[in-house]
This record gives sequence, structure tokens and C-alpha cells, in this order.
Amino acid sequence: MAKKIIIALAGNPNSGKTTVFNNLTGARQHVGNWPGVTVEKKEGTCSYKGYNIKVVDLPGVYSLTAYSPDEVVARNFIVEEKPDAVVDIVDAANLERNLYLAVQLLEMGAQLIVALNMMDEANSRNYRINVEGLSRLIGAPVVPMVAKRNQGTMELLERIVEVAENKVRVKELVINYGREAEEEIAKLERLISQDGEFSRKYSSRWLAVKLLEGDEEVIKKFKEVKVG
Amino acid sequence: MNQLIPLAMVSSGEMVQVVDVRAGFGLQRRLADMGLTPGVTIRVLNSQMSGPIVINLRGSRLVLGHGVAQKILVKKV
Repeated sequence: MAKKIIIALAGNPNSGKTTVFNNLTGARQHVGNWPGVTVEKKEGTCSYKGYNIKVVDLPGVYSLTAYSPDEVVARNFIVEEKPDAVVDIVDAANLERNLYLAVQLLEMGAQLIVALNMMDEANSRNYRINVEGLSRLIGAPVVPMVAKRNQGTMELLERIVEVAENKVRVKELVINYGREAEEEIAKLERLISQDGEFSRKYSSRWLAVKLLEGDEEVIKKFKEVKVG
Repeated sequence: MNQLIPLAMVSSGEMVQVVDVRAGFGLQRRLADMGLTPGVTIRVLNSQMSGPIVINLRGSRLVLGHGVAQKILVKKV
């Protein structure tokens, strides 16, 4: 029996998610040179070293707030379905903006792998990226890639298997939001962790932060809970 | 003097620094998600009297509606 792994592809719009998806699954999904090509999630499968890997291509997003339907689709999949690994496709030529999403994924406690795509583009702009240093800094595996030439796909598959098999654990990132906010976060976290259902399903710190942000989707979840 | 002006009033080619985003939480958050935060330096690539304006922000191009650009206060650098 082949072991099953579920992974999600996340990333900013136009960072090459669908190209990576096609490389992994051999699918021929339409790749457009404009943002917003993927409006709903697409699924494909791939076999590697005896593993049966289900690959889910998520809509391109800048962030994981509840701002737009695409963000909600992407976030819900990661939070609710808890894929074995989340591959964040990052445009190496636009590192600063792209890593913002990576940080949010780490805060959610996702098992993150950063695919540093468009390395050729970054090189032609004379960017020198310290891949190992970046990996150490964010605490997650980083794989340099040129997806349009199918470079880096094998290494990405290796990292996916390692993370899915728990050989590599990616720790939930805790950002200190300052004393005032942290006091409130701690209070909410205590309350949330008293509810077995919530704390089993979600990171209580993440829920606490989202509640303080006034995130509509998360607030809705709490309203659905019957008290007593 | 280094007065604050709305981004919508900056001419093409100029470099400015974002000082404040006078908008609701939703838009502030949305812009921050894309890297438009107070303190960041941007270049205006194309701006007309009306219609959207194009900026270079942290190495990528971003198009903003005129109304949104009115809410972003900047100073010249």
C-alpha cells in the first residue's frame, strides 16, 4: 500500500504555483502570466518513492486574512484540512513581499516548506540569496527552484516526504506583539484552551490573535459554538 | 518644507516615503499585506490627474485606485 501524503501549494499571485503544480502532477493546468489565474483550489496526484501525494493548488494570496474569498479558501484549507505539508511558492526576485505570507503560515503552525522559485530571475538581478541562512532564520526547509525549467522539483519532493514523515518538524512561529497585546492574547488563549474541541483543532494562540484582529471568519466560528 | 501630501498628487518619476495611511482598518491591513506600510519608500511610475496610479513598491509594481491613493499620505525624499 502506498502511503498517502496531502500537501497544499500556497503563495502570492503570480509566483508560479500552477507551474509547480504541473511539474509535480504532470497536469496541464492553464498557466497565465497574470495574477489570479487560480480562483479555486485544484487537485492532482503524484507518486514518489512509494508515496501517493495529493497536491492541492490554492488561490494566490498576499495574506491570510478573511479579506477576500480567495484568502478564505486558502486559509480554510490549511487550517481545517491540516495538510501534511504546505509548500509556499516564493518569488525569489521579490523576497521581502513574499516572505510576509510565509510568516503568516508559520504563525498558523503550518508544516511549511519554502520553494524559492524564479532563482534565475533573482540571479539576473544580482541577488545573492543565502538559502541555508534563510532556512535557519525561519526554521523551515527552503528549496531553490526554477519551476518553468522544472529545476528543483526532485529536491522539493524529498523535503515534502521528510516533513510529512515528521523527520523535520516546523515549529509554530511566535511573534511578540508587545506587552499590551500579549496580555490580552494570554487571557484569550487560556479561555480557548479550556474548550477541548477548539484546542484540538486549532492553535489557540493563532485564534486569540485573529479574535483581537476582529477577523470575521474566526468570530463566526466562535458564535457557532454552543455554550454550556 | 516636508509637508505631507496625498500619494495621488505626486507626479510620475518621483520618490516618496509613506508616512500615514488614513483609511479604515480593512484597507490599512490590505495595503500592509502588500507591503505598503508607513516608512516604506516608493517610486511613482505613472500618475495622471485621474485614474489609477502605478507605483514601484519593494521591487514589485502595484496599481492603486485614485481614491486609495488619496488616503495615502507621503513626503518627498
